[in-house]
Amino acid sequence: MTKLSWSKNWLGSRRLTLLLAVVLFVVGLVALKADPREMQPSEGGLKLAGKFLQAAVQPALDYQADDLPASAPSFWSKVGRSLALTLRYAIVAMSLALVGGIVFGVLGSRAWWPAVAQGSRASGLLFFFLKCLRLVVRGVATLARSVHELLWALLFLTAVGTSPLAAVLAIALPYGGTLAKVFSELLDEEDASAAGVLWAGGASSLAAFFTGVGVRAFPDLVSYTLYRLECAVRSSAILGFLGIPTIGYHIATAYEDGHLREIWTYLYVLLAAVMVVDWWGALVRKRLSRSKPAREAGSRHDTAEELHRKRPKSWALRLSLVAAMAAVMLGWMTEKQWQSELPKERRQANLERFMMEIVPYPVRQENDWGELWPWLGERLWTKGAIGLHRTFHIGTIAILIAGAAALMVVPFAARSLAGRDPLGLPGGREMVSGFRAGVGWLLRIAALLMRSIPEYILAFLLLQVFGPTVWPLIFALALHNGGILVRLGAEVVDNRTIRAAELLVVQGGTRRATFLGVLLPDSFSRFVLLIFYRWETCIREATVLGMLGVLSLGSLIDEANTRLYYDDLFLYVLMGAALVFAGDIVSDLVRRRLRGPMVRSSAFRSG
Amino acid sequence: MNTVLQLADVEVSFGGIHALRGVSLTVEKGEQLCVIGPSGSGKSTLLGLMNGRLLAHTGSVHVFGQDVAALTARKLRGVRSELAWVPQNLGLVPNLRVLQNVLCGRAGRVGFFGLLRRMALTSMNEAEEVRALLERLGIPEKLYERTDTLSGGQQQRVAIARALYQKPAAILADEPVASVDPGRARSLLQLLTTLAKEEGITLMMSLHHVELAREFFPRLVGLQAGKVVFDQPASETSEEELRELYAVGEE
Repeated sequence: MTKLSWSKNWLGSRRLTLLLAVVLFVVGLVALKADPREMQPSEGGLKLAGKFLQAAVQPALDYQADDLPASAPSFWSKVGRSLALTLRYAIVAMSLALVGGIVFGVLGSRAWWPAVAQGSRASGLLFFFLKCLRLVVRGVATLARSVHELLWALLFLTAVGTSPLAAVLAIALPYGGTLAKVFSELLDEEDASAAGVLWAGGASSLAAFFTGVGVRAFPDLVSYTLYRLECAVRSSAILGFLGIPTIGYHIATAYEDGHLREIWTYLYVLLAAVMVVDWWGALVRKRLSRSKPAREAGSRHDTAEELHRKRPKSWALRLSLVAAMAAVMLGWMTEKQWQSELPKERRQANLERFMMEIVPYPVRQENDWGELWPWLGERLWTKGAIGLHRTFHIGTIAILIAGAAALMVVPFAARSLAGRDPLGLPGGREMVSGFRAGVGWLLRIAALLMRSIPEYILAFLLLQVFGPTVWPLIFALALHNGGILVRLGAEVVDNRTIRAAELLVVQGGTRRATFLGVLLPDSFSRFVLLIFYRWETCIREATVLGMLGVLSLGSLIDEANTRLYYDDLFLYVLMGAALVFAGDIVSDLVRRRLRGPMVRSSAFRSG
Repeated sequence: MNTVLQLADVEVSFGGIHALRGVSLTVEKGEQLCVIGPSGSGKSTLLGLMNGRLLAHTGSVHVFGQDVAALTARKLRGVRSELAWVPQNLGLVPNLRVLQNVLCGRAGRVGFFGLLRRMALTSMNEAEEVRALLERLGIPEKLYERTDTLSGGQQQRVAIARALYQKPAAILADEPVASVDPGRARSLLQLLTTLAKEEGITLMMSLHHVELAREFFPRLVGLQAGKVVFDQPASETSEEELRELYAVGEE
């Protein structure tokens, strides 16, 4: 056997994959010294949880405090303003990220390369140059996204002070990187046969690429962009925890004031916003992938003009386009001042000071870069190493729990199994009619809720209940990613017609037997693929969750920030970036090995 | 200038495997010929040489009297814009309207921005021209439909409309009827050969089905393991020759 097929077998092997997962899980628990007994919430925590859940059913409709000055704006205008701000930053950031994503996405793909007959020296040189360009562009994109938006924000805030521009750039940079990466993949994977025909008919490479590949990939590009917009709304809300007055800011302050019911108001508003974007994305996706038939069918005797009048057209898509453009314009125009309110000299001075202070302290003192190594060693081998491995394990354990839970939930949540008729085959009468479908529906709603709440807010709330252990972070990551994996896993089951599964049902097999016996083994490598995708983002998220006060890279960053040790801050941010960068590369390698026919889904991709 | 295409002693190999060896072939203007042979005999490679998608390793390929290997990129594009290609998978953009897919046929003649303008803001004259073309192919009412809503047979007609809209000197078609039933394949070939004759377009095709090849093409070229086994009028091709041509696959 060749080496490739060995590793392919190894990765495809269910037994070894499961073994690896168990080993990683146990090693992680030991390394984190995570005691399952710590999962028990404290008495105060339990009480708080009770109160908090009670508040969930009666979100605040007005201020909870009654000693407010008469000049205070009404509660709903405050909520509305924070929502508007959250959406505005998300939209403006996405508009920037989209431009960067398209430019870097095209440059980072192979699809636009001129189809020159290879072999000559000139074309060899050209391709060498193009390959280098592609590598550099992809590297830059990966680098931009390996630093979490919250950390970008932290860097910008410390460098130039609080400003809307800093918030927008903090989201736009990593999102631009992610868009670029996914756009390149989509363009490279796109069927290039139409481009080949155009090119063979004398079209320039540019024209062939644009119409043959670009236009063809357009629905997927739009669909992914809308999924990222949904994520951007969440990210924008989270930036509030750094003092930017988006929804997260109001959640944090309401918590500090003990106004639990107000927290729920903000949470519900955020959830509603995220779900509206989700729903809009689904609508656009549907219309782009399958056009609605025209109201009036054209006839053989019509002229071109009559056919043009009767052509099928989608109002949903037209309105969406207008709405998207209006939203971007409004987003850019309604902000009165993008820059910080500080005068220009102050900002300049701040930036200069920041640039000076990220230079390691001993180097600054002695003006000798030889001092760097002892300083670096001291941090890397003590705190840094601990923070790094804890971050890695938190992310890994979380994704393993999420993956395991999702696999257990998928057979009950997938539409094709949850109804009365498994896989669309007549299932006969049920004891309680609609019970199974109802459970499936509830599970899907729960998954939707879980993935709509940002991990950071989940972790923040869970920490108050469970106290400062690693469990709240793990649970928060596991819940959010579990929600995503349930949806993606259900899509995998629903979108495939497997004769063997149908056969099993026809021969009297139960749903469970069908799932365990056919569907799961059949789609196993796909599930593993999904888990790897989310693993990478889990690690990325884990680098910031520690900022809530649990020892890991995030807490080191937060500590350095409060002490104003910008050199340490910068170092730990870089370490986090290195971890995410490495995870990205591993995930890419694994995916290349596991790649089979892909399921086209936006959230399926990293991000 | 009556010779459209001339291959002289051409060899092509991919990674040490000979796809074509010592192939010589001359195609005159207005001819209709069909390349037949078992899978892997080099049919696609032969067609690929003709519009310069592939280059010969030894020997020469002349299209319209010009040596393909010696052409500049611009001249090569000029040559290609005279040659339309219909691949087996048709190479249509599924999420574009039929009209826009057909307009793509003239991409080599109108340039990138010309193509963009035509696709985004199609004038009524251009639309009418495409509609008339689709009418000859029997699907005028599909002008503004999204291409992926059409049936397989209708999509083949769109691909042929695109090729005709290019106003080429020759059409190269690689197994264009491989995935439809015999009835549809027959009517499509009927349509294509008739239209090509009417327009004076040279037609070169590769086919799996020997029966169809004999029925519609006056000239047959038999390929086996990269070599031309026979090149003769269809009427002179015997059952014996055909059986031998395909015998290699059964070993």
